[in-house]
Amino acid sequence: MGLKVLIVEDSKASREYIAATVESIPGVEAITTSSGFEALKLLPRYRFDLIITDINMPDINGLELINFVKKNPNYRETPLFIITTEGRDRDRDRGMALGASEYLVKPFEPKSLEGLLRRYLKLA
Amino acid sequence: MSRFSELLDDFFYRPDEDVGGLLEFAAGSDELQPLVPEETPEEYLAFLLEGECYAVPIRSIREIGKVPPLTEIPRAEPWLLGVMNLRGDVIPVYDLKLRLKLTDKASLVAGPDAPPPPRLARILVAHTEEGPAGVWVDAVKDVVRLKPSMLEPSPPGLGGERDCVVGIGRRNSELYILLDLEQALA
Amino acid sequence: MNPGGKALSEFVAEATEILDTLNKDLLTLDERRGQEADPELINGIFRAAHSLKGLAGLFGQDRISRLAHGMEDLLDRLRLGKLVMDDTALDALVESLDVLQALLVDASRGETSSSQSTRVEGLIERFTLMGAPAPPGEEDPLDRLELDAQVRAVFTEYEEHRLRENVRRGVALWRVRADFDLSDFDKGLAELNSRLKPVGEIISTLPSAQPSSASGIAFDLIFGSKVTGIELASALEGTPAQLSQLAARPPARGVVLTPAPVPRPAAPAAPPAASAALPAAPAHGAASVPAAPTEPRAPSTRRSGSRKSKASRPPPRPEPYQELPQPLLTPLPMMTPPPLPSQAFSEAGLGDSGSKGPRVDLDTSLRSLTQTVRVDIRRLDGLMNTVGELLLIKANLQRMTENARQEGTLVLSKAWVQELARETRQLERKLDALQSGLLEARMVPVGQVFDKLARLVRRIAREAGKEIDFLSTGGEVELDKLIVEELSDPLMHIIRNAIDHGVEPPEVRVAAGKSRRAAVSLRAEQKGNHVVIEVSDDGSGIDEQRVREVALQRNLITEAQAAEMNRRELLNLIFLPGFSTARNVSELSGRGVGLDVVKNNISNLSGLIDVWSERSRGTAFQLTLPLTLAIIRALVVGVSGRTYAVPLNSVLEILSIQPKDIRTVERREVLDLRGQTLPFTRLARLFGLPERNTGRHFVVVVGLAQERMGIAVDELFGQQDIVTKPLGGRLQSVRGISGATDLGNRRTVLVLDVAALLEDGMSPERRWA
Repeated sequence: MGLKVLIVEDSKASREYIAATVESIPGVEAITTSSGFEALKLLPRYRFDLIITDINMPDINGLELINFVKKNPNYRETPLFIITTEGRDRDRDRGMALGASEYLVKPFEPKSLEGLLRRYLKLA
Repeated sequence: MSRFSELLDDFFYRPDEDVGGLLEFAAGSDELQPLVPEETPEEYLAFLLEGECYAVPIRSIREIGKVPPLTEIPRAEPWLLGVMNLRGDVIPVYDLKLRLKLTDKASLVAGPDAPPPPRLARILVAHTEEGPAGVWVDAVKDVVRLKPSMLEPSPPGLGGERDCVVGIGRRNSELYILLDLEQALA
Repeated sequence: MNPGGKALSEFVAEATEILDTLNKDLLTLDERRGQEADPELINGIFRAAHSLKGLAGLFGQDRISRLAHGMEDLLDRLRLGKLVMDDTALDALVESLDVLQALLVDASRGETSSSQSTRVEGLIERFTLMGAPAPPGEEDPLDRLELDAQVRAVFTEYEEHRLRENVRRGVALWRVRADFDLSDFDKGLAELNSRLKPVGEIISTLPSAQPSSASGIAFDLIFGSKVTGIELASALEGTPAQLSQLAARPPARGVVLTPAPVPRPAAPAAPPAASAALPAAPAHGAASVPAAPTEPRAPSTRRSGSRKSKASRPPPRPEPYQELPQPLLTPLPMMTPPPLPSQAFSEAGLGDSGSKGPRVDLDTSLRSLTQTVRVDIRRLDGLMNTVGELLLIKANLQRMTENARQEGTLVLSKAWVQELARETRQLERKLDALQSGLLEARMVPVGQVFDKLARLVRRIAREAGKEIDFLSTGGEVELDKLIVEELSDPLMHIIRNAIDHGVEPPEVRVAAGKSRRAAVSLRAEQKGNHVVIEVSDDGSGIDEQRVREVALQRNLITEAQAAEMNRRELLNLIFLPGFSTARNVSELSGRGVGLDVVKNNISNLSGLIDVWSERSRGTAFQLTLPLTLAIIRALVVGVSGRTYAVPLNSVLEILSIQPKDIRTVERREVLDLRGQTLPFTRLARLFGLPERNTGRHFVVVVGLAQERMGIAVDELFGQQDIVTKPLGGRLQSVRGISGATDLGNRRTVLVLDVAALLEDGMSPERRWA
């Protein structure tokens, strides 16, 4: 059984970029969605090992998603990364306060994401 | 989408439409020729036009096929022989003999009055900047590997008005007139 | 891993989508100039700029990223109420969109033109000069709201701002709680949203972390509304929503606030009496007003009356702001009367000074940069299902083949033959479905182009100093994607001509007793297998006698020809190459600028262009286009042993004639058809094929728009659905042939271009191409 990473990001190019980085690590599978709602539906269906989310999304915002995830007993300990852009410090800080593990500022190098993924998924 | 196109490909694949394999040609050719390490030879496809031996880099050729039925284009230039259907794509077929001044009369190869094509005649489908183009050849000779040392610049006066002859290849006693197809079809 | 070559096209595709959204939203804002900007619209534009910035950053498109960043910053300030959306801001945003489009063209070609870089920097500078953040209020209105800190923690800055705005304006805030099943909560929420949106603003949608049951999920919607609790409750009737009001205490320190002994949250949906029914209480109290995001800076005197005092106006802007150019966009209402009609013309001239960069945009093609068609996934699923069914049929046929092979020489059973017939019928049906499904997937609404053109109209009108009401209808009519793409440039050309030269300046119109504002309209309508697109104006019209003179001067026609031409033929001379030059533009009210090119473009789409004009009443160009180029029904004909296909949508009837039925009028052959003279052409002769003496002829009568012609052929082979392939780059210039098709016997059959043949046949002595 491989490790599963949920990616919630409404920009398609960005989503695929992140997914490609995630899947470049052997044994890790990316499950992606463009919508916070869809993410809420996916959470009980899989047992995700890590979650990556954008903050600005059309339906529910990323902070609400983090809050939801962190209060859910199944996901309380699951690492969660925020994808953010320069200048949105306040939203980022709130996300970290709500229990996100790390944040990445777009544009970021695949290497830095890969490093974080390996660390939190406890892969060599 | 890729699954979708695979399904479609699978469904619409018709083996009888395959126009001969270029790979067969390349694979079976010249295998005994030892590779000279210091010089990288390039593979050329050699063919005949009016008895002359011409050659083009094989990477510029997409495939080689028997002459399919050609459809003439009304009011077109004489050196456009017609169009052919290559697995659903419509591809123009050209007569280089007029371009190379090997003849001054367009060949009658398309339309209802055309005789069946000669047994050895082939159509080379070439990659060009403006898309694939077919070239009529009287026969395909073989695939040759030519090293840079075997190439010479072209003597003046060859290749009609255009600079479509780029040089001469010499291998053993054989001479190959090297063509720039992009130029010849321009 | 860094996105490379293939990725560039993906970038262009996604960026194009974002720009389309931006374009639409900015257009809406532009239309509503002078009104309070819809916060959702601004937020949408902000999100688009934000996505574009991120996208461009990922792909190393620095200039796009920088500009989008600048826009995002500006929009962020706008949506957070730190800056008021006014003409200056809107103009800068509209111009940014133009620059972004030009940059995307650059990017798709791998170029970096320095003129665009200059514009990017200029715009970014303008953005930064626009308004400094307003001084913070002394009390945060949000502190007055009784809201769990935990709930507040998950609001984004924007949501918090909207909440604050609502509190500040004394709008009642509600918590709408609803339980849904996890499997379809989005449907339930959508229903709830559609009930709530008309009566207020949904500020946030919070999924409750405490599930109500194993398969359920609860949501809290934070909702601001001016209607009463009773009205709210009735709006939500039938939904699982429970209503409770969030309490807010009145502002501190003697601020005059008319509202609202706000009741404590009572039972769900308790009628909060008159309290919630407050009209947007005039917000003031200089202390608590950082800026008035709802107040456009527009020179609106009628509004100031509703204000209590000048003190409540936004603080004066920093100096540099005043030096910025005047608004670029003239307030051109689309259909509504102008708020300030007299301003339109006077501002038009100033427009140009505003944009510092070169005015390249108008010459940039409106054509999409991508070949992508956005297809509803359900359409693709439908196609996929059909393919699945086809595979089943294939399996059946394989099994039958296998059976037949094993039976060897035995006579095949009747049942086997019946089964084969059944499978064949199935195959046929499914292929039909696949075909029409694919056809449908290629269709896009012409509105895609109309939207882009609408924006263009404003700009051209502004530059030309014209006052235009632009009306477009029929945007929902669908056409093949390929045709829609190819249409944008010709339409742009025609519309440009109409505004630049067709329509008179306002003063001239008034002097001529016309309405001051000119009407330019763009209309699409489906007529059978064709779509007719008309561009019309109520301008000065074309003077056909001037057309005649110019055509004679340029030796395009002889005196003798001119003498025989009727009005319509004279007007059509404007499509001749070489008819127009820049010099005679104004003399002839400009019609004819490159119209030969337009005509050529339309002909390439198997379409026809026609012009109608009446002096001082206006001009109309009519384009008649086939619905699709992909799959058509065709009549298969034979000439001199060759086979050709004639698109059936342009075939009117088929006649069988004797040689004696052919007459000659002025050395041109014609047919006498029921008392009407019909131009006649022999396809063999036209194509230079050996003519066969067949004794009798079949005549295919073709027609497009008003043109009719009989085409003589030797044989008729019947009708067939054909997939037309374009002849491709190398053969594009072949005239009279629109493409090729395969009739199933591996032989390529050419498809006749009826529009081109009509032209050749109608006027062989003045063949225009």
